[in-house]
Amino acid sequence: MSRLIVAGLILFPFIGLFLAFPAAFSWDEAFGNTVLYVIILGLVNVWLGIGTAWWLMFTDSKWKTSVEWFTFLPLFIPVLASMFGMYIALAPLGLVGTHIGVGLVLLVTTLPYSIRLAYNAMYVVGRPLLEQTLTLAPWSRFGFVLFPLLKETIRTIVLFSTVIVLSQFVLVQLMGAGLIPTVTTRLYQAYAGNDVSLALQHTWVLVLVPVLLYLGLDGLFSMWIKLVKGRLR
Amino acid sequence: MSRSSLWLSLFVLALPFTGVAFLIYETVGFDWSELNDAAWRASLAVTLYVTLVSTVLSLVIGTWLARSVYRRQSTWLASLLRWPMFVPHVAAAYLFYVLFSGGFPFYGLVEANERHHLVVILTYVWKEVPFVFLMVIGTYAQLNQGYVDMAKTLQLTPFEQFKVAEWPFLVKPLLDSFWVLVAFISFAYEVPALLGVTFPELLGVLAYERLTTGLFLNAYESYAVALIWTLFIFIGVIGSYSMTAKRRRRIERGVRR
Amino acid sequence: MSLVLTGVHKRFKDRDVLRGIDLEIPNGEIHALVGVSGSGKSTLLRIIAGLETLDAGNLTWDETPLDGVPPHLRRITMLSQSPLLFPHLTVGENVTLATPNRSRQEAEAWLSRVRLPGRYDAEIHELSGGEQQRVSFARALAASPRLILLDEPFTNLDPNLKYELQRLIRDLVRELGLTALLVTHDREEAMLVADRVTLLEAGRVRASGTPQVLAETESTFGDFIELDGRLYPSLHIEVTDSPTEETVELVRSFTRFGHRLGEYRRGQGDYVILPRDESFRDGETYYLRKK
Repeated sequence: MSRLIVAGLILFPFIGLFLAFPAAFSWDEAFGNTVLYVIILGLVNVWLGIGTAWWLMFTDSKWKTSVEWFTFLPLFIPVLASMFGMYIALAPLGLVGTHIGVGLVLLVTTLPYSIRLAYNAMYVVGRPLLEQTLTLAPWSRFGFVLFPLLKETIRTIVLFSTVIVLSQFVLVQLMGAGLIPTVTTRLYQAYAGNDVSLALQHTWVLVLVPVLLYLGLDGLFSMWIKLVKGRLR
Repeated sequence: MSRSSLWLSLFVLALPFTGVAFLIYETVGFDWSELNDAAWRASLAVTLYVTLVSTVLSLVIGTWLARSVYRRQSTWLASLLRWPMFVPHVAAAYLFYVLFSGGFPFYGLVEANERHHLVVILTYVWKEVPFVFLMVIGTYAQLNQGYVDMAKTLQLTPFEQFKVAEWPFLVKPLLDSFWVLVAFISFAYEVPALLGVTFPELLGVLAYERLTTGLFLNAYESYAVALIWTLFIFIGVIGSYSMTAKRRRRIERGVRR
Repeated sequence: MSLVLTGVHKRFKDRDVLRGIDLEIPNGEIHALVGVSGSGKSTLLRIIAGLETLDAGNLTWDETPLDGVPPHLRRITMLSQSPLLFPHLTVGENVTLATPNRSRQEAEAWLSRVRLPGRYDAEIHELSGGEQQRVSFARALAASPRLILLDEPFTNLDPNLKYELQRLIRDLVRELGLTALLVTHDREEAMLVADRVTLLEAGRVRASGTPQVLAETESTFGDFIELDGRLYPSLHIEVTDSPTEETVELVRSFTRFGHRLGEYRRGQGDYVILPRDESFRDGETYYLRKK
């Protein structure tokens, strides 16, 4: 019984998805941009997150602790504050209103989490086991050993970066100078215009994208593992 | 290959610091007394209130849940707590907005946009409890059950048992979580923009609005506030970490896992 | 006044770890529980401490049932294999924590009694393993228990430290008039430290008595010997000069705990220790037989 109450408390906000009828979905520029950012940032976060965590694991450099702190500190800088500053910094470089500019600031907000997640996971796997993989060529190393070991972490990194990217309004508005629409910016417009059904449609998209991505990756990774095992026989 | 990742990461991570540097640069010559108007002061008060209440509630509930899962091995609870993590903050805010707009299920018992920012707090707590849970459950997974048993056999009360066998190990993850949450909640736009009121606005909302609407001069107010707030948090982080450093080092040296 | 266990049963998953334990430990006695790994001795200790529940049976102290009483109200403390000193506290603070009045003075007195005077402000990592175990002992005593449980506390120490600590614990427990229950797999340790010994085998009490009595009846209690392709407890095997198919050669004669024992070599090259009749001579061949 108490389980039901707890489950109810955790899940009740999802009722909101059904309180009104969402507008019909249509593929538009905002959705296209959103999907683009989600995919690219997912890939970049996995690449840089694992790569940097790998360096941290194996390095004997005296800079190791400093780098660790450096990767962790941005989490303590309010996103909005650093965004104001980055806007001032990047404007002269002509990056305002460009996909690259927006992509860059989105990366800034997601990367610290990715590095931390990757590092924690590798720490648990343990350096000795990871060292064993160094005898393999990079692609084999990744495909046959690292990937299976870290696939849950990779999924989590993609999930975190996706949810963070989908949550950004100010970053996209400021850096995109209003020229780059995303599902999130359209949600705010719908809210301001009091269009509940349109806003709810966007909310559905924002909830479904991470879920479908997470499940889809599970399927994809399972297929990959089967493929890899097949080739090893 | 990891070398190139490292350098790219360092470049990307340097951007926020560069941003702060530019904020300092832009606010040189700024007249700080301009921040003494009613809007900023009221905003500061309500921001501190919302931030502290949301953060403390999230930390307490998240820790309590992690403890329950650890003690009772409740995997169902751990799985359930992952659901909110799939929902972006913005979507969560809108869902809560819709839930509290009158009609089913709360019938206007509490309004979505009201003075005490209750729904804002609720939204943050709903989203951040799973985060705190994740940060803390790792500690419990590594906890040496021997310490817990020893505390029991030493005839300590349940509260003392917690204080001596669990709390010392929780300090680090809770401290990390506290500051991450404070940084995130205190200067955010997305959630309070959907669920807040027009006066007083939370710091992030006010800063963004003064930046994007109104006079050019107002932009500097926003930069100035962003800067002070970042420095304030920074001092808090440094201060709390150095105060707990000695104890944390001692624990690292003396612990048996 | 005593600790009494009757018919204690405990099952973990699909294994019966304790199958009906009857035990009585009078006040002030040092009692040893001996058995190999898996015999259930640590589980029994944990049940007495209140860290596990029993599935069936009774556990009483002075006829008051302990079942259902939480560990922190039983006045039973425990010393483990690992010192488990709380890492955020100094050596002395660990002991103070256990004293009823949170008194530094009391803690310092306890530290002196375990021969660590003046170490109150030391950090845990500054102490050796043996010293840490002594602090843990002081801490367990400082809580004014009426019963102290010792779960193989000497296992991780080297032999010299072991003897020192064994004597310290025995002397201090006797001096304080405490009741103590020591769990060990080392028979010699049990003989040295305890007033009475109980032998645990596969979750049951196999024998119980003073060290002298047990030495006579259980010469190599706990060992198993293979005979005719089956394993028998050594207690069920005797050495005789009447021929059987199992021959052994007496390699060495010695006396232990007042009992005549011999080391025999078997055909396969392994050695067993079994009783020796007065007439036996080294180098001669004898025979094993199930009693």
